[in-house]
Amino acid sequence: MEPLEQPRNNKRIPIDWSVMGAVLCLMVLGFMFIYSARFATEGEERALIHRFAGRQIIWYIIGSIAMITMCLMDYRIMSRYSYVAYWGAIILLILVLIPVIGSEKFGARRWIDFGFFSLQPSEFAKLAFILALASFLSRPHDELRLTGNFGKALGMMALPFLLVLIEPDLGSALVLIPVGLAMMYAGGIPPRYLRRLVGGASIIILLIVVDVVLAPPQWRFPIQEYQRRRLLVYFDRPASAFAPPGATQAELRRAADLKRNHSYNVRQALISVGSGGLTGTGWLKGKQNSLGYLPRAVAHNDFIFSVLAEEIGFIGSIVVIGLYAVLLFNGIRIAAQARDRLGRLVAVGVVALLFSHVFINIGMNIRLMPVTGVPLPLLSYGGSSTLVTMLAIGLLQNVHMHRRVH
Amino acid sequence: MFIFDQLKRDDKGLRYLAITMFVGCVILCVGLWYIQIVSAREYRENLHSQVLRTVRVPAVRGKIVDRNGTPIADNRPIYNLDLYLADLSPAFRSNYTRLKKELQPVPERRAMVQRWARFRAITNITGRVSSWLDRPIQIAETDFNRHWNTVRALPLPIMRDLTRSQIARFAEKPQSIRGLDLRVEALRIYPHGSTAAHLLGYMTRDDSSVENEDAYFHYRLPDWKGRSGLERMFDRQLRGLAGTKSIMVNYLGYRMDETFLRDPDPGGNVMLSIDLRIQKIAEHALRSTEFGDQVRGAVVVMDPRNGDVLAMASAPTYNPQAFTRPISYHSWTNYYSNADLKPLVNRCTQHQFHPGSIFKIITALAALETGQLNPAEQMWNEGSYRPHPSSRPVRDLAPQGWYDLRRAFIKSSNVYFIQHGVKPGVRDMMVKIGRKLHLGEATYVLMDQVTKRNYQEVGGRFPKLDQLNARWRHGDTVQLSIGQGPVSVTPLQMAVMISAIANGGHVLWPRMVMEVAPNDPESSVKRQWIPPARVRDHLGVSEPHLKILHEIMQADVEDIDDGTGWRAYTPGFPIGGKTGTAQIEKNGRIVDQTTWFASFGPVQSPRYSIVVMVESGQSGGSTCAPVAGRIYKELVKLEELDRQNLVRRAN
Repeated sequence: MEPLEQPRNNKRIPIDWSVMGAVLCLMVLGFMFIYSARFATEGEERALIHRFAGRQIIWYIIGSIAMITMCLMDYRIMSRYSYVAYWGAIILLILVLIPVIGSEKFGARRWIDFGFFSLQPSEFAKLAFILALASFLSRPHDELRLTGNFGKALGMMALPFLLVLIEPDLGSALVLIPVGLAMMYAGGIPPRYLRRLVGGASIIILLIVVDVVLAPPQWRFPIQEYQRRRLLVYFDRPASAFAPPGATQAELRRAADLKRNHSYNVRQALISVGSGGLTGTGWLKGKQNSLGYLPRAVAHNDFIFSVLAEEIGFIGSIVVIGLYAVLLFNGIRIAAQARDRLGRLVAVGVVALLFSHVFINIGMNIRLMPVTGVPLPLLSYGGSSTLVTMLAIGLLQNVHMHRRVH
Repeated sequence: MFIFDQLKRDDKGLRYLAITMFVGCVILCVGLWYIQIVSAREYRENLHSQVLRTVRVPAVRGKIVDRNGTPIADNRPIYNLDLYLADLSPAFRSNYTRLKKELQPVPERRAMVQRWARFRAITNITGRVSSWLDRPIQIAETDFNRHWNTVRALPLPIMRDLTRSQIARFAEKPQSIRGLDLRVEALRIYPHGSTAAHLLGYMTRDDSSVENEDAYFHYRLPDWKGRSGLERMFDRQLRGLAGTKSIMVNYLGYRMDETFLRDPDPGGNVMLSIDLRIQKIAEHALRSTEFGDQVRGAVVVMDPRNGDVLAMASAPTYNPQAFTRPISYHSWTNYYSNADLKPLVNRCTQHQFHPGSIFKIITALAALETGQLNPAEQMWNEGSYRPHPSSRPVRDLAPQGWYDLRRAFIKSSNVYFIQHGVKPGVRDMMVKIGRKLHLGEATYVLMDQVTKRNYQEVGGRFPKLDQLNARWRHGDTVQLSIGQGPVSVTPLQMAVMISAIANGGHVLWPRMVMEVAPNDPESSVKRQWIPPARVRDHLGVSEPHLKILHEIMQADVEDIDDGTGWRAYTPGFPIGGKTGTAQIEKNGRIVDQTTWFASFGPVQSPRYSIVVMVESGQSGGSTCAPVAGRIYKELVKLEELDRQNLVRRAN
């Protein structure tokens, strides 16, 4: 291990300011549109607007403190505890599955309820996974060529993936895959392993999807019914696919209702985004949201982008994507300038994590991706997501602070 | 790209990652561009169709006023209490949660429990309102559910036509129950009940769009359409233009906000030439016959100077107000559609009758004009006339004896007028004069302004000159001379005829509507003004002959011994008149008779012509003349009253 260096310029805070700027802008947008998403409610629910928007501010503050904290300790020291964090996260993921500890919402056990705050272990697991995998892959290049090490890396990915999958939280689980792959690729795992892995996995996933969507029930891969419905909606299958084969007229009608109900969120999100047009309706003036067509339960978290896209239009949406791009490409730059392979892998992991979230979430708002409960970093309402995003950005800044100096 | 420049050339891993992310961002941007720019319109239409509901808001109907401006058909504001369902949705929800806890319904019955919960919330509020405003409210569950299912965005009407004290009580604490609102609605009223009912006509429910209005609406508020009379004739003007309200609804279909896309344009007002006071006098007089309220008859009062219809009464009558509410089956079958009474028929214009002896005025005039009649010449009347040796004789009610024109006219001798009618040239002159009077044609006083169809009036029957050919028989001339056979008329046509005799031969267009004015005087719609005294034709008869007629008509009223119309006599108001009794034959037998009295006065300078017709009356003299007399006496009083008022005002 090389001796630790103090940052050179003590007067200037040595963080990456363009990343900070983008983060700040996204926070402002996040506050504005969480406020807007809750603005439409009335009566007692109206009072919650301050609770929601206020809480989000608190989370931004807590997140910022967490980010600063992450910068205080050199990432190389931190990585020594990465396996502790990883196994801690695994334990939490197991704990959350235990009915007494994990609280159930919408048929999934994803949260550990502390009263004032419900912790979502899967979010923290992502971060712990990045740290652990980075420190695992930062070993000498030659060791990575060994299939055993490749297998271990895969195992590190598979363990949290499976635990999150059985919560069930398909979205969060799936996010681990691109993150893991990107890190392995950047870390130097021979591309042929990865190609085989990706190729094989794609074929299996493709087969599963085709099977789930098209096959008769007895041949189907057993996944959660709600996930199957989401896939059916995504592939716009006819209503009869929702009903068992040989269904009566009444059952078919019910199936049609079911399809309408399940495609409702997606349809309303699309109408929101589409009706925003070029410039949008203006802040707090989005009709889809204010009249409740965009379901209230998801408008401020998973579908916050629809609210935003309706109110600030195409221009605003592009600005948001631009802000994320600033974040991501600076992240790549930080990875390139990292002092060592550990730093580089941490930065790549963080960037891949953020990118996956952004792409899946926005994609699902515009029907490019099926609906999965993946939050939009910094914009969606939610403590765990915000905190983890800020921690991840803290890691990125940490790598930047200890970069190679030219 | 600034990022790529900073990446080392050989750092392929990061380069590919950066390219992947870049492509990802581009995909998102293209997707957004496609949805927000290319398909924006489609999504915006989707948004509008799920968010906006349009409502047709009818305009306030115009008034119908008489010539002095007294309203005959008016509007009254009524105050209704409405309940906005959007404000109730928290109550619906809390009721449902409570009920759900109590009943633990299986999923299939949840919808039913939700319906209960909603209806409970409604009855809870109506109960409070009804004890507060002290009036029972009844809302059927099925009605409420229908409202909720079909027109959820519209408020639920819970109380109609609040009294003053209820309004006051509500106004004290309007906010005490959420969702309640007072709404003003214009209700058509006919302040004078059945007066002039046949003129006004009646309305039925009709919410459909008319020309110049939007054609498509999600909801339509109740509106009315004129089905007969003036309400129909001027329906378009009276109705105005309905407005369009756009309601924004939330995802539950409740009203959130509303804006008027177009304000309703109130209907114009129609001013009639009718004088309501005279109308009332005429209707009252018509009911004073021996038949009372059961009388089937008509009265037309006209100003012979300008053709203004001052009153037009038809009996039996009805109350137009009755048609704004559901009519019971019982009253419809027993009264409105009764084949004898025919209360919906305006007997002044919509039914034709043989004129009988009142047509002898024309026979006399034609004979005088052709020079075939010397008023002073005495003629022997045998008591009956046989048009053809083989045919049945026409009886004369006047006794045998010597007759001159005056005696024959006031005793209404059939034989005398037949003998003059069959003289050479008289037949043709009768038909010519009749055509000049436009008998057999409508007067177009109540023409449908939209369809231009004259369905509210019949033209009657009268021969044309070219019909006087080989197929015309001698018997027809005989019948025509005494107003039977090939001639039938409406009372209004007779009023036009009498007016022409009275005013020196001017056949006028009767005028009933003086003007149609837009409700807003500054509106761009032009005022429609129908001028008085429009001359349709001239009789083209000589002045002295008309004078002779005036004299003998006056004699019919004033000759105490022989005059058949003496019952119309009005002291100080010389009247000229002619009675008539027309037989209605069916299969060669007399089944009924129509009695008439056609008159004008004062004889020297006629101001009124009055035609009275009563079906199944005893005779023109005993049934109809008293009716006319009553009207003249009241008119004299009315003129005196007007004169006094004028003097008082001048002083």
